[in-house]
Amino acid sequence: MITFWRIIMSGFKNVFRNAWLSIAATAIMVITLVIVSFFAFSALFFQNQLTAIRDKIDLSLFLKDDAGVDDVKRLGEGIRGISNVKAVVYVSKAEALERLRTSSKDGESLAKTATEIGNPLPASLEVKTNSLDNLSGLNDEIKKLPQANLIASSSLENSDVRKKVVENIIQISRAVSRVGSVISIAFLVVSLLIIFNTIRMAIFTRREEIDIMKLVGATKWFIRGPFLIEGAVYGIIGATIAITIAFPLVNVARPLFVSYFAAGDVLTFIADRAGLIILSMYSLGITIGVSSSYLAISRHLKL
Amino acid sequence: MYPNKTVALSGVSLHIQPKEFVTVVGSSGAGKSTLIRLLIKEEEPTSGKIIVGSIDYDTITKKNIPHLRRRIGVVFQDFKLLPNLTVYENVAFALEVSGVRTSEIKRAVPKILQLVGLAEKASNYPGEISGGEKQRVAIARALVRNPKILIADEPTGNLDPKNSWDIIELLLKINKFGTTVLLTTHNKDIVNALKRRVITIQGGRIVKDEKVGRYIL
Repeated sequence: MITFWRIIMSGFKNVFRNAWLSIAATAIMVITLVIVSFFAFSALFFQNQLTAIRDKIDLSLFLKDDAGVDDVKRLGEGIRGISNVKAVVYVSKAEALERLRTSSKDGESLAKTATEIGNPLPASLEVKTNSLDNLSGLNDEIKKLPQANLIASSSLENSDVRKKVVENIIQISRAVSRVGSVISIAFLVVSLLIIFNTIRMAIFTRREEIDIMKLVGATKWFIRGPFLIEGAVYGIIGATIAITIAFPLVNVARPLFVSYFAAGDVLTFIADRAGLIILSMYSLGITIGVSSSYLAISRHLKL
Repeated sequence: MYPNKTVALSGVSLHIQPKEFVTVVGSSGAGKSTLIRLLIKEEEPTSGKIIVGSIDYDTITKKNIPHLRRRIGVVFQDFKLLPNLTVYENVAFALEVSGVRTSEIKRAVPKILQLVGLAEKASNYPGEISGGEKQRVAIARALVRNPKILIADEPTGNLDPKNSWDIIELLLKINKFGTTVLLTTHNKDIVNALKRRVITIQGGRIVKDEKVGRYIL
C-alpha cells in the first residue's frame, strides 16, 4: 500500500519534471479525444435520428368521419395481425389537430383556421412497420380486411418521400462513421506515438536512474509504475481539457445540425449522454496514456 | 558469457566465511567486476553454482532478482547515487524500494548517516558533496537494509588517498559490526596495509588465495 502511494507520488513528480514534454503529450491527447468523441457521437446521433425517423409513422390510414369506434378497433386488430406490422396507433381528430398545432411555426395559425372551419382533419390509424420495404404490399393486405371500407385514403402516396429521407440519412450516417473512424484511428495512432515518444524521452534522460533503481533492488513495477501514472495523468488532464472544449463546441456547431434536425434534438441528445461522454473521454485518455507508457518502458526493464 | 564468447571468469571456486573481510585484486579485465555482476545476478554463469548465505542462485527467478539485491549491499566505483535526490532521500530510497514504512525510514536513515559521518549533509544533493562523501552515502544506502554481505566494487577507484582510507576504515568498522565485506580494488597500498584475506584473479582465474595477503601481480 505504502509502495503504491510512493509510485503514484513519483509519477506526478515526473509529469512536472518534464513540463514541456508533458504539455505536448497532453495537447495531442486533447486533440485526439475531441476528434474521436466528435465522430463517435455524430455517428451515434445519426443512428439515433434514424431510429427516431423510422419510428415515425410508416403508413397512415385516414378514416372516414362516420367510422364507428368499435369498427375502428376491430380494423386495428386486424392490421396488427399482419406480418411486418410493429404497432398500430389510433389518432383521433382532436389529436390530429393538436399535432398540427405543434408541428411547425405556422402550426398555431393553421390549427386556428382548421378549428374555425370545424376541424377537417380526419382521424387515422398509424401503422408502424418493422421494415420500410414493401409498404404497398402491406397496403394491399389492409385493403382485403373486412373493415377496409372505413378507410378513406392512405398515406402510401407520400411514403416514397419518407423512404428517401430515411435513405438519405442512412447514407449521411454511413459516410460520417466511415470518415470519422478513419480520422479517429489516425489521431489515435498519432497520439499513441507521441505519448510513446514522450515517455521514451523521459526514460532516455533517466535511464541511468533506472539502472541505479534496478541495482538497489527496485522491482519492475516500482520502476514502471511512475511512468504508467505519468501516462494516466496525461490522459486525465487531456480528457478534462477536451471535455471543457467539447461541450461549448457543440453549441458552436449547433446551426449545422439545426438545418437537418430539430435544434433541441442535438442538445438533449448530448445532455442525456453527458455522463457517458465524460466517462468515455476519461477512460479513452487513460487507456491511451497508460498503454503507450507501458510500451515505452517495457523494453528498458530487463533486470 | 559475452556475445563474442569471451570467457571472463572460469574455474573460479571460492568460499567466503561469514563475517570475513575479503579483498579481491586483479588488473583491469581480470574478471573482478564479472565476479560481482554474478553475485548481484546482473549476469548468469554459463556453468557452475553460486550460493550466498542460504540462497542458491539457480533457484532465483527473474521476478525475485530485486529481492536478492535488497539482501546484498553493493557499493560501486562511480557511486551510482540518484542525482536529484538528497543524501537523505538516496538512502531512504533503498528502503522505499523494499516497501518499508515511512516511520521506520525516518528512524533508520539518520542513524546510518550518523554511522558514516554524514549527518550534517543529509539535505545536500550528490552534486554538492565530495567524492569521498558520495561514496559514504553509497555505503550508507547499502547498509541501511542490514545486509549480511556488503560488496564494494573498487569503492576507492575515484578517490584520493586520504578519502580512500576513510572509506576503507569505514568498511573495516562495518565488518567489525558483523557484516561480511567483499572488496575489490587495485590499490596496492590499501591491500598491503589491510593484512586480510586476499584473492588474486588473473585472466579469469584465481591464481592466489592467502589468509593474510599482499598485492602481487
